[in-house]
Amino acid sequence: MSITATKMLARDWRGGELGVLVMALVLAVGVVSGISAFTTRLQNALEQESHRFLAADLVVNSGRELPSAWLQEAQGKGLQHALTLQFPSMVYAGEDTMSLASIKAVSDTYPLRGEMTFSTEPFGPVLAAESGPAPGEVWLDSRLFALLDVAVGDQVAVGDAQFVVAAAARTEPDQGSAFYGYGPRVLMHYSDIPATGVVQPGSRAEYRQLYAGEAATLAAFNRWLKPQLEEGQRAVTVEEGQPGIGNALDRAERFLLLAGSLAVVLAGVAVALAARRFSERHHDYVAIIKSLGATSGTVNRLYGSSLLLLGGIATVLGCLLGWGIQALFFYLFAEQLPVQPGPSGMKPYAIGAVTSLTCLLCFAWPPLRRLGQASPLRVLRRDLPLENRQAINDYALGLLAVTLLMWWYSEDWQLTLAVLAGLALTVGLGFCLALTLLRGGRLLGMSAGSIWRLALAGLQRRGSANALQVVIFAMAIMMLLILLLVRTSLIDEWQAQLPDDAPNHFMINIGPEDVQAIEQLLRAENISSEPFYPMIRGRIMSIDGEELPSTDDMEEGRRQRESNFTWADTLPTDNRLVAGEWWPAGTEEPLVSLEEEFADRMDLEVGDTIGFLIGSQPLEARVASIRALQWQSMRPNFYLVFPPRALAAFPATFMTAFHLGATDKAFLNQFIRRFPTVTVIEMDIVVEQIRTIINQVSAAINLVLVVILAAGGLVLVAGVQASVDARVHESAILRALGAQRRLILGGLLIEFATLGLFAGLLATVAAELSVYILQTFVMEMSYTPTPWLWPVGIFSGALVIGTLGVFSCRRVVSTPPVAVLREL
Amino acid sequence: MAGTELAILKGITLEIKSGESAAIIGASGSGKSTLLGLLAGLDEATAGTVTINGTELGALDEDGRARFRGQHIGFVFQSFQLLPALTALENVMLPLELQGQSKVAELAQNYLQRVGLGARTDHYPLQLSGGEQQRVALARAFASRPSILFADEPTGNLDTKTGEHIIDLLFELNREEGTTLVLVTHDNALAERCQRRLRLDGGELMQE
Repeated sequence: MSITATKMLARDWRGGELGVLVMALVLAVGVVSGISAFTTRLQNALEQESHRFLAADLVVNSGRELPSAWLQEAQGKGLQHALTLQFPSMVYAGEDTMSLASIKAVSDTYPLRGEMTFSTEPFGPVLAAESGPAPGEVWLDSRLFALLDVAVGDQVAVGDAQFVVAAAARTEPDQGSAFYGYGPRVLMHYSDIPATGVVQPGSRAEYRQLYAGEAATLAAFNRWLKPQLEEGQRAVTVEEGQPGIGNALDRAERFLLLAGSLAVVLAGVAVALAARRFSERHHDYVAIIKSLGATSGTVNRLYGSSLLLLGGIATVLGCLLGWGIQALFFYLFAEQLPVQPGPSGMKPYAIGAVTSLTCLLCFAWPPLRRLGQASPLRVLRRDLPLENRQAINDYALGLLAVTLLMWWYSEDWQLTLAVLAGLALTVGLGFCLALTLLRGGRLLGMSAGSIWRLALAGLQRRGSANALQVVIFAMAIMMLLILLLVRTSLIDEWQAQLPDDAPNHFMINIGPEDVQAIEQLLRAENISSEPFYPMIRGRIMSIDGEELPSTDDMEEGRRQRESNFTWADTLPTDNRLVAGEWWPAGTEEPLVSLEEEFADRMDLEVGDTIGFLIGSQPLEARVASIRALQWQSMRPNFYLVFPPRALAAFPATFMTAFHLGATDKAFLNQFIRRFPTVTVIEMDIVVEQIRTIINQVSAAINLVLVVILAAGGLVLVAGVQASVDARVHESAILRALGAQRRLILGGLLIEFATLGLFAGLLATVAAELSVYILQTFVMEMSYTPTPWLWPVGIFSGALVIGTLGVFSCRRVVSTPPVAVLREL
Repeated sequence: MAGTELAILKGITLEIKSGESAAIIGASGSGKSTLLGLLAGLDEATAGTVTINGTELGALDEDGRARFRGQHIGFVFQSFQLLPALTALENVMLPLELQGQSKVAELAQNYLQRVGLGARTDHYPLQLSGGEQQRVALARAFASRPSILFADEPTGNLDTKTGEHIIDLLFELNREEGTTLVLVTHDNALAERCQRRLRLDGGELMQE
């Protein structure tokens, strides 16, 4: 029997519906496993990325030297380790030239995760380094070259030791955002510390032990370490990635999962349609072999094994396609990803295989199983009706399978429900609407011209079949619209966050007397900058009169904190009030406005009174409002904003942010020479990195959209094909009776375009609903109605379905009617 | 058609002896095909019984009748009913495979030779002419060595000359194999070649 099964499959390939069936399966498996593998590997990379920001998997820090016994314990367990020490000190070049610097001494193995970058000249092209400076050498922050008037190869002194300037230090993985720290960076080797004689007991310094290794070993080490930590010693592991990129990628991932889920639904529908048509076309085959003595069991075995064989082939092809899709994504990404993505493992492909199996069992098998019940009497009487009574059960089974698959796949019931709500609306409303409208169309069409009467009569005659078709078309169009909408708003939002001229350099420590001169210089050099913000450093000491603990150990909760303050009369751009009110301009009241997350962390509410210490002077202010900020915007942002008069008595410096293109970096050398006290912080590498990642994610999203478009297209083709036989047959009769080519094609065009029009209308309504739910609850973005969607959805529906329909039926006017009639 | 009862065949009693050849003739719509469907166990009668070689078909379910058809009954149809996906040889092998016989290829080859298609065994139905297709159908029908062969307008889709060839072949094979033959036709000349002729008119059967 199996020879017959393979033979049948091979020959049926030409029938077309088998092609759609296999393609739908391959696409389902491919998209599902591809997207799953991609997101798994991306998550993998992101996790590594967040480890990179620690330069390790686990970091212990303290203000005093840490026990070396811990390092030995780690070594014994097979973990890697590294040491760093950070302290402020003066750097000298000759007798008179000096600058305060933030010195960081690193051991050979540093960094354990991520990499350092340097350049061979200040602000020069960035190169990656495996490890830091060799003993006896230092790397200087780019701006120190100007401040100390040195070049690579010159000598500088730190404490009692002399060093050769070997390179310009550019970035370290764990430099974090602590750029309001001590001053420009100087990197040296860990073994050079004693020679400098600078670090004494009681010196202000931060000691770090860095550990990295296999997750389980590391966790065991961490458990061993925790009880031994004394006051002032803190162990930090990776809790979460960088909020900025993380957020964008998180949404991108959800988008991809959504796309994958929709692909499952679309492919499922395409599989069901193709299998149904396959089964209808095989009723005659079955009748013949049954007349020759095949039992229903034999028939089921024959088609079951064919289906399994087909499923096996499609699964293998689909997994290959999935592998190709994720490989293509990473090929697009490779340059930009800071770390090499790890392997995805077999799980994504297992998910693909399960998808394939589910599609086969729930969508393809029910119509094929009915073949076993086909009557052998069809060999004598071709006009016997086909067995289709269990169709409703099939749909219910399919819907359940799709829901479970989507939920399993996205692990997000909100997302699943949003799509289901759209689906349910389409199906429910669709049937009522389609039946009513199609009936109305008949009445309207009675008096219309001949083509219209023909078309509308056709629509009416196959009323319920057409309603089903409208629903299926609408489902496909709806999902494409959903993806298009979500994709567009995602990408728009990202691009709005980081426009091409987004600030990529910060300038701090600007003396009030320099503000005007710098403003003029920037304008003269045609450099666009943000406004100049006053900046005052202070410390939060008490809340509602209650003194806060001074410990630095806890991240959350109320404790004394250093922060930067600014003043403003109006709410800064990009800020949004979430509680309280903004003060009237010129107020003399001691008020303060807090950033939302900061207020959360300190457990503060509007009306609380905070005690500050600025320099040595105390200040009390009442919380007037709480603001939400866009941290990704790269504009200067402050946790605490005061009215100008409240801070009038305190000395302030100013800060600003500006955009500098890669070719204009030389400006910085000139600038630092002229304003040596101003600190310039380069963020261009980070901004560029974020931008490229976002661009690549956008590209990936567009790519997925294309794949899903293909899946949607398949559903449309399968849907049109489903009704082609009956329509071609009727048209052939009309042809035989002398109908003109124009009449038949015109009638078909109107018939299919009308179906497409209804489908487009339904799809648009349902897509708006789904997108509303998705944007509001899943993506956490603001929802805005999209008026342009309506004409696009409705008319593209009519156009695409109309064209596809006429194209699929075209042979009726190109072949003699007798041939068509005999064939059917 | 709910609520309307339509009697297609009325009070038919008919016995055909083993090895006999019988023609059922009648105009279009007289119920010939319905009767054939019942006799061959393709359909179930609402009343009455059909017994072949001592087996009452009405007592079997559809799968039981399918097995019975496989073992005892052969068909030749007006529209040939070959499987387009299979070659001539595979079409002839199909009923033998369904019965689980061995050496089916040799047997099928032998029958194709007997109908004069020994050289065209690897052709697909669409590559064969109508007459050739019907010869494949004859080979398929006799290859399973049925005790009774039903033929439904076997020349209906063929021109006169080709039709005569097919009929010659049919009777020749029938003679050699000793099969019982029940033939449905509206062609009097064809009916003349059978031992018995039965006319179906308005659902009632008359011996000629």
